[in-house]
Amino acid sequence: MRTRTRTEWGADVPGVSLTAVTLRYGDVAAVDRLSLEVKPGELVALLGPSGCGKTTTLRLVAGFLAPESGEIRVGDRRLSAPGRVVPPERRRMAMIFQSYALWPHMTVAQNVGYGLRFKSGVSRAERDRRMTEMLRVVQLAGYEGRYPGELSGGQQQRVAVARALVVEPEILLLDEPLSNLDANLREEMRFEIRRLHEAFGITTLYVTHDQAEAMVISDRIAVLERGRVAQVGTADEVFLRPRTRFVAEFIGRTNLIEGIAVEPDVVAHGPLRLQVGAAGLTVGARVTVSIRPHDIALGAPDEASGRGRAVNVFRGVVQRASFLGDAVDYQVQVVDSDVALRVATPASRRLAVGEAVTLTVVPDGCVALPDEARRG
Amino acid sequence: MTARVARQWVAGVDRALPVWAAVVLALVLLMALPLGWLVWMSVGGAAGATLGHYAQVARDPALLAALWNTVVLSFWVGLASLAVGAPLAWLTARTDLPGKSVIRSLVLASFVTPPFLGAFAWVMLAGPNAGLLNVLWRSTTGATDPLLDIFTMSGLVFVVTMYTFPYVYIMITNTLLLIASDLEEAAAILGAGRLAVARTVTLPMVAPALASGFILAVLQALALFGSPAILALPAGFHTITTQIWALFQYPPKVEMAAAISMPLLLATALLLLVQKRLLGRRGYAAIGGKGGQRGQIPLGPWRWPALLGCLAVMACAIFLPYGILAKAALSRAWAQPLSWSNLTLGNFAFTFFEYSATRAAIVNTLELGLATATIGAALVAMLSYVTNRRLVLGHQLVAFLALAPIVIPGVVLAVALFIAYTRPPFLLYGTLAILFVAYLTKEMPVGYAQSEATFRAIPPELEDAGRILGAGRLRILWDVTAPLARSGIIAAWCFIFIGVIRELSASIILFSPATRVMSVVIFDLKEEGQFGAIAVLGIVMLALTFATVLLVQKALGRDVLGVREGEPPPRPRRADADANQNGVGS
Amino acid sequence: MRPTLVCALMLIASLAVAPSASAQDARLEAAKKEGKVVWYTSLALPSAEKIAKLFEAAHPGIKVDVHRTGSERVMSRLMQELGAGIKNVDVVHTSDAGHFVVLKGKNLLQKYTPPGVDGFPAGFKDKDGYYYGLRATVNVIAYNTKALSPAEAPKTWKDLLDPRWKGKLVTAHPGYSGVIATHVLALVNQYGWDYWKQLAQNRPMLVQSAVDPSGVVASGERAVAVDGGEYTFYQTKKKGNPLEIVYPKEGVPLVISPSAITSFAPHPNAAKVFTDFTFSREIQQVMADSEGLYTGHPDVKYPTDKPKLSDLKLWSVEPEELEKRIDEIKKRFVEFFGA
Repeated sequence: MRTRTRTEWGADVPGVSLTAVTLRYGDVAAVDRLSLEVKPGELVALLGPSGCGKTTTLRLVAGFLAPESGEIRVGDRRLSAPGRVVPPERRRMAMIFQSYALWPHMTVAQNVGYGLRFKSGVSRAERDRRMTEMLRVVQLAGYEGRYPGELSGGQQQRVAVARALVVEPEILLLDEPLSNLDANLREEMRFEIRRLHEAFGITTLYVTHDQAEAMVISDRIAVLERGRVAQVGTADEVFLRPRTRFVAEFIGRTNLIEGIAVEPDVVAHGPLRLQVGAAGLTVGARVTVSIRPHDIALGAPDEASGRGRAVNVFRGVVQRASFLGDAVDYQVQVVDSDVALRVATPASRRLAVGEAVTLTVVPDGCVALPDEARRG
Repeated sequence: MTARVARQWVAGVDRALPVWAAVVLALVLLMALPLGWLVWMSVGGAAGATLGHYAQVARDPALLAALWNTVVLSFWVGLASLAVGAPLAWLTARTDLPGKSVIRSLVLASFVTPPFLGAFAWVMLAGPNAGLLNVLWRSTTGATDPLLDIFTMSGLVFVVTMYTFPYVYIMITNTLLLIASDLEEAAAILGAGRLAVARTVTLPMVAPALASGFILAVLQALALFGSPAILALPAGFHTITTQIWALFQYPPKVEMAAAISMPLLLATALLLLVQKRLLGRRGYAAIGGKGGQRGQIPLGPWRWPALLGCLAVMACAIFLPYGILAKAALSRAWAQPLSWSNLTLGNFAFTFFEYSATRAAIVNTLELGLATATIGAALVAMLSYVTNRRLVLGHQLVAFLALAPIVIPGVVLAVALFIAYTRPPFLLYGTLAILFVAYLTKEMPVGYAQSEATFRAIPPELEDAGRILGAGRLRILWDVTAPLARSGIIAAWCFIFIGVIRELSASIILFSPATRVMSVVIFDLKEEGQFGAIAVLGIVMLALTFATVLLVQKALGRDVLGVREGEPPPRPRRADADANQNGVGS
Repeated sequence: MRPTLVCALMLIASLAVAPSASAQDARLEAAKKEGKVVWYTSLALPSAEKIAKLFEAAHPGIKVDVHRTGSERVMSRLMQELGAGIKNVDVVHTSDAGHFVVLKGKNLLQKYTPPGVDGFPAGFKDKDGYYYGLRATVNVIAYNTKALSPAEAPKTWKDLLDPRWKGKLVTAHPGYSGVIATHVLALVNQYGWDYWKQLAQNRPMLVQSAVDPSGVVASGERAVAVDGGEYTFYQTKKKGNPLEIVYPKEGVPLVISPSAITSFAPHPNAAKVFTDFTFSREIQQVMADSEGLYTGHPDVKYPTDKPKLSDLKLWSVEPEELEKRIDEIKKRFVEFFGA
């Protein structure tokens, strides 16, 4: 499992903890009382739409920005507090930028070897050795004398990775490092980064807006909305058990139905009654229910009457069908209701527009969003 | 370990901060002090603050006439510069005009030619009786009246326009290059002819840039001294700049000069404000699109007439004036035809060996040029770095102050400096120092704009990447920022240098017999009618200028007008009014 | 005993009376130590440079810093420098005699009499011994011989007021040139300000220096110069330019250009040596021969192809009057001519 706390080079790595960190730009809070714990050796993705504060959070951790309130600790060192910020060069971190930020006037060797100059006790020879070794690791052996301008996007990215890893940082920060690559390369590099993380074991913060990337790469995902952590958890947790509307909609597609809890585990929306997976709803409270498109089964229209007492069975009419190759995306209007549901099914069965269908949802597939309920 | 930590802490921001603060302070002193004196002088009276000087100005018909002349001159120069610069820009940026690079180089040459040299050359070309063009006209047509009389307001407008239109040209060219051509292709597909496309699609999109270019040209014309002195005074009329200079003849009426400077200052400030609004917060005219592929509009049968038109303009700005300067330099009598008996190297001998003021002036000019350019480049590099990386609180104020000197016409600046520095505690009059201060203040905006653009093109991430790897701020400056900024700073150095060697309007007020510079000597020689010597010195000045321009092109790897041939220019991410276009002038 | 005493007394007496050669040598040594003399002059540039070169050749080790500009500008610069506490100039020489009245009044001049000036006419000497006329010229009319025949050319000052000269005239400026300032005052004294008012109707071209009109006329830019230093026209004519001079019979304004040493001269000995040099017969002769100037020196011979001062009817202007009315002159000129 991924609980390694020692790096490949045998050092103990610390974790990162942010406590109620706030930073405002004018009236707007870019980061709003944000708290997050990153365990030693863990890779946490900061996921969210643009403007949610993920890059700002990363730069706060790096020490380029100072928080107005709250603090940031790495291990037992307090690195950032209002008015007292340890400068980036003394934080023992490394960062990979979205644009790679390779120095165009330096060769690959000089780029990669740069950080080693500031490590005490590293001789020139040792520096060269480590640099060459790291280039081998990222599969760029022999490229020492090239300039960044002569490399492809993927190669530049690997130089950036090598430059960051060669200094054996305690904390690794990545700011959307894959967004400049084309789709195929991006997928390939996701796995490569995950492999490197498992090999080296450094505590890592990874900023991205791409949820698939976050789910592949990270140990846990922190979903950010407007400067705050909306939910943090493993990929399973945030996908299957989203806590807010925002998280539900951001990770994968979903159907959202608002209703009133009429029983501890039933939500009513007009004539529709939805049995949700978790009990414990406050009767009479307003609840939002999230249903993933692929959690809805489509069956023949007569199934509904045949199943009399089954829960979450509704009659519907297909309004729209889009063939996507490996799946079919439907929009189905539920009969006697204003609800239209998005449904995703494998492509083996194709229904036509106007066809009557039966929709069935397993109770576990209906997730009552707890934090949404609290917001009322 | 602790020593290293301590060293890094010392080398960090904390030590840099006082340096930045000192630089900002220097800026305040350069600008605020003289301006303060200027305002003070204009309202200073024996019995305390008074508007009496302004009242005197308002009552004096000569001064009011000068004001009016200035307005007329500036307005017409603005229009004419638009009429010349915009079509030229469109032709070279958008169409398949032949010889584009030649035209561009010629426009560049016109850009760096000091207007007063042009005025002087045109006296020899179009003086109503002895001017060579008129002589030619009379001999070929037998007419008695001259074709052209350069000693008129129209003559002055013409000459000034020839050296002001490049500002409009640059502005429009840069704007046109930002417009993707598919917008125009869309119109063409729908059936619009070339001219219709230009009129209905291109024109509205560049309209803000046109208005802005007009304002730029007006600002240049407002501040000129040399051309009006050469062309207007013999015709018997003043502009504000020549009037201010006249007020400085003994005994100097400094209060009046200060009072009449204020409207000039306010007008300039107002115009710049309008221009900034026009361009919006994005700098160049805010145009969408990627500014990518630019197809060329075919001119068809109009190709050669268009080229001829361009060459005609360049003949007026470059070929004819440079030609007559060369002739005057090599002739005993400039008005006589170039015959063997008229040829002489005597003018060169006189200028360099017999006239004692020349060598001293050349030395002074070079000294001042080198000092101002070097210190100025260092200063603006630091300032623009500070503002670009937002290192100090109130960095916007720093940026504003660095660009503020554009607002002050050279003559007014000179008056202000004269007032501030010809009295204790800073007695700088009579030394090169007062000229240095004037030049530094005047050329700072040009240098600042260039270095600001340089640092804008260096993403802060390049420095962050180094810092997170362990390098302190100053170390990063040395390893990363400086090598990448080097060519841009060299360009700033060159712009400042060029500006200094041709500066006249401030020098003419602040110089003293021991601190003459080349432009002043040229002006002195004009007053004695020593055409040959003027031509020689003018050629030296032009040679120095072009040598520096070549240096810029080498350093930047691109045309100093701002565009790499065949490529769109780098898009500004965040731009203030481009002072590069506002500041170079004399 | 008594003869020796008489001899001694006579020796002492003779020492006291004659400026001894050794005193001269001592001053020359001191001058060489000073190394240079700073000369603010309104004498035409080539002439000024020539005299400077001659001096440097005759006195190796002493450089001449020539600063040439129009008389009015010279004064302006000098006063500006003094106002800023700068004491730069040793010898000041302009064509505006009024300046020297002012400077003397402000104790800015040193009393110094170069040898040989006793023979100069009264107009060339300051009675208090502070300044002496270094050179003189007259204002004349000049015309381009290619444009006009001698019959067509104007003969008198009043001829110039004829409307047929409209657009064909050039005048220099009293705001710049002492020669012209003197000329303006002289004509005002003869004909009143109306003269200038009328002349302005002919819209003459305005130049600054009294040297400039000769170039303008020689090039043919304008046909007639209505004023200007005669010496510059003479030199231009001698160089072969198509120019002829008219000396109006009713009178020509005489301009005597004084020279003086400043009281604060940083190189006083060099200044004295230089002054002696310029007033010496040799140099005064040079001025007459090659520069076309008139001088006060009684032993100078003048070229035969131009009138002597005694042949001309001279209009003089008192330095005190010039000094008093200089502002009025400049102001009204600008009023009539526009700039």
